[in-house]
Amino acid sequence: MHSSVVRQILLLLGLAFLPAIGQAVYYRNAATWSAPPVDSALVTLSETKGWGDAVLWVDARPEEEFARAHVPGALLLNEDDWDARLRTLLTAWAPERKLVVYCSAKSCSASHAVAERLRHEAGLENVYVLEGGWEEWKGRNP
Amino acid sequence: MNRSGTSGEAFHRGVLVRRGLALLAGAVFVYAGILKVRDPLQFALDVNNYHLVSWPIGVRLAFYLPWLEILAGLALIFYRAFSGALAITGALMLGFIGATIWAEAQGINVDCGCFGAAGSNLSFSWHLVLNLSILLVLLFLWFTRAKPDEITPARAASA
Repeated sequence: MHSSVVRQILLLLGLAFLPAIGQAVYYRNAATWSAPPVDSALVTLSETKGWGDAVLWVDARPEEEFARAHVPGALLLNEDDWDARLRTLLTAWAPERKLVVYCSAKSCSASHAVAERLRHEAGLENVYVLEGGWEEWKGRNP
Repeated sequence: MNRSGTSGEAFHRGVLVRRGLALLAGAVFVYAGILKVRDPLQFALDVNNYHLVSWPIGVRLAFYLPWLEILAGLALIFYRAFSGALAITGALMLGFIGATIWAEAQGINVDCGCFGAAGSNLSFSWHLVLNLSILLVLLFLWFTRAKPDEITPARAASA
């Protein structure tokens, strides 16, 4: 590779460190550097069973996956058409109900993102994320 | 070399096409980088979901990679350090494609995090098509880029 190309690569790689370090300093207290953050709102399927009818299921998967199958009574809410679907969700919501959001599996993060928006944008409390997601629910309810 | 008439127009069209594609590819990287820079902690979770690197490495990558994408994207847009930016964005795309295929092969259902929350509903196939399209554009730009020893005064004047 031409030496000028190598110089350009090193320049860009080096320059990117500057804002990255600045941002890391800014987030130094918010980020966990040695282990992933523990999600206090993560609930197991067993825990949700104890809540009975108070649970309002929120499906954060893509619409086509929701259409194929979902937890009975679950409402679809993802980044697509957020405002309209949130309105539908709020009509079914009541302060005593517990919102349990799930996505495809343990490793997906859409449920965390939707739960975060429900807490901070919609101002809702009692918002939880189902550990293991749809795969966990399906595995226990074949 | 005298570039005039039809061949000159074709040359100009070629330059315009390359600049247009560089602008497009650069804009995609800047857009993707900005989405991730806005929420580096979420991107750290997305990186972690691939189970490719440990959390301490993943969280540091989550703070670094988006800025690298933005800088390399800007370099493509403004045609500065162009070859270096092409090499970096190409390597990033190869990395993203490899990670996506690896995750799918392992049966890990991941949100790639490529476009922040905006891409969380893209299927594996669409991720792959999108990433491969960008990679093809970058490869085209790499193989048609002007090399320093090929630029002659006549060519520079006609460009």
